[in-house]
Amino acid sequence: MKKLKDFIVNSRVWRSFFRHGWPDNPLDRSLIMTTNVFFHLHPVRVNKRSIKALYSFGLGVITTIMFVVLSITGILEMFYYVPSVDTAYFDIITLQTQVPFGQLLRNMHRWSAHLMVLTAVLHMVRVFYTGAYKRPREFNWVVGVVLLILTLGASFTGYLLPWDQLAFWAITVGTSVAGYEPMFGKLIQKLLLGGAEVGQASLTRFYGLHVMVIPGLLLLIISLHLWRVRKDGGLAANEVKDEIETEVENA
Amino acid sequence: MPDNNIPEENKSFSRSSKKTYSLVEIVKAPTTMVDKGPEDTIFAFPIVAILELMLAIGSTLVLVIFSLLKDAPLEELANPLITTDPAKAPWYFMGLQEMLEHMHPTLAGIILPALAVGFLISIPYIDYSREGAGVWFTSKRGKSIVGWTALYTLVAMTGFVLVDNAFPPRELLRDMLPNLVTQSLIPGAVMTFLVVLPLLVLWRSKEGIKNAREVMLVLFTVLFITAVVLTLTGFLFRGPGFELYWPWAMPNGYNPMDGL
Ligand code: HEM
Repeated sequence: MKKLKDFIVNSRVWRSFFRHGWPDNPLDRSLIMTTNVFFHLHPVRVNKRSIKALYSFGLGVITTIMFVVLSITGILEMFYYVPSVDTAYFDIITLQTQVPFGQLLRNMHRWSAHLMVLTAVLHMVRVFYTGAYKRPREFNWVVGVVLLILTLGASFTGYLLPWDQLAFWAITVGTSVAGYEPMFGKLIQKLLLGGAEVGQASLTRFYGLHVMVIPGLLLLIISLHLWRVRKDGGLAANEVKDEIETEVENA
Repeated sequence: MPDNNIPEENKSFSRSSKKTYSLVEIVKAPTTMVDKGPEDTIFAFPIVAILELMLAIGSTLVLVIFSLLKDAPLEELANPLITTDPAKAPWYFMGLQEMLEHMHPTLAGIILPALAVGFLISIPYIDYSREGAGVWFTSKRGKSIVGWTALYTLVAMTGFVLVDNAFPPRELLRDMLPNLVTQSLIPGAVMTFLVVLPLLVLWRSKEGIKNAREVMLVLFTVLFITAVVLTLTGFLFRGPGFELYWPWAMPNGYNPMDGL
């Protein structure tokens, strides 16, 4: 058994996948972080403070997980949904009543969408109160603000897709706010809706934004965000009690 | 080999007598993990991977259980001819919709949101000192500033909603003053006053305002709690006719939670 394991683990195929040994020693624990695309987002060593649950509450991570859940459930929903004012509503009913686990699928997509907005806001609040936007993380804070706006956009555009009364009037009310702006308001409203009122053109546009444009941007910018967290030295808690830097600051 | 003749700063770096040295440049840049005692740090693997996996499994589990218990809403087929009452935006825009009740749409829907986003983006550029980064509320004093500001905002904004709802200037003064004054200038001035007041109090207090972080703590707390108050008011307390009701005593069988 041990021989078989050693044979597999030392084979050229295995070694081409995992370029480090079993991570039970400092060298391999360092290598796993630098050679694995998912782990390399983390530093090799972290400050104990930064992984305390009551420090970050894991809110950024939960928001990222919600994005993954939304992508998976959203793609599955796309298999059953056609964005046409004649069929969309009935596709949702079919999904809920005919498709195995369809109701669960829709529930999960909807609740995780709400949750993602909530956790993104709470994550921002946590980052603010821990002062984690301070140098050198200013840019990542700005990236975060963009992510928050995109998250709201993703949720808002998805709201129209079931094409029920709730969807129709929520989007009518929501987009009418843009129309109040005296200079470009009407133009923006028209661009979003594809007309003066919510109709087929709006559904087409919201669908395109909801399944392609915004998730694509989110994927790109969340990647940028996480990469910046890494480049800025991990969480700001890593730096606490760093006299040497404070001296440089004050010099 | 302890050598007492070597000055303190050269202990880790003994100079060669055959070379000359000079300070070329001091670079002001973050030194991520350099100079930090290894005793505070631990290997990220496997603990961070385990924590993240636990978060992933935990939050997905909660989501599945909740989704088994509560179905997503689906009302009748969309009908442009039948208006729902109330007609509400998604919950995260209810703060905006609530503001529309109190002031001119350009102020509520464009100017104030733009100011809020502009403020958020500028926070790290106004408060750029690195002091206190990574510590909740920065200090004890910071904590009490946030606590008092939060309490103040909760009372002030709830008061604003209720008073403005009972005595709306844009209706009471409609015939006396131009719309610009009643719909924009008065609510704009009231809002500005409510936002600036806690800053003034801090400024005139015994210790005054000590640094940019304290200003940010006040302003962000005002913004956050205001958003919470307005969102909850719009989402939970507005019923048919967009009138204020207790959430559990809505007329016509309307339940605000059905609109999630
Ligand atoms: C789609 C939304 C977002 C996702 C998926 C996301 C994800 C993350 C993750 C996974 C982290 C690592 C630390 C943690 O878990 O708390 C992080 C850190 C950070 N995020 Fe976000 N974030 C989002 C939105 C935001 C927003 C709205 C802001 C602020 C306006 C922001 C600013 C930051 C900053 C400054 C850090 C570094 C924190 C530190 O050093 O302690 N992020 N983000």
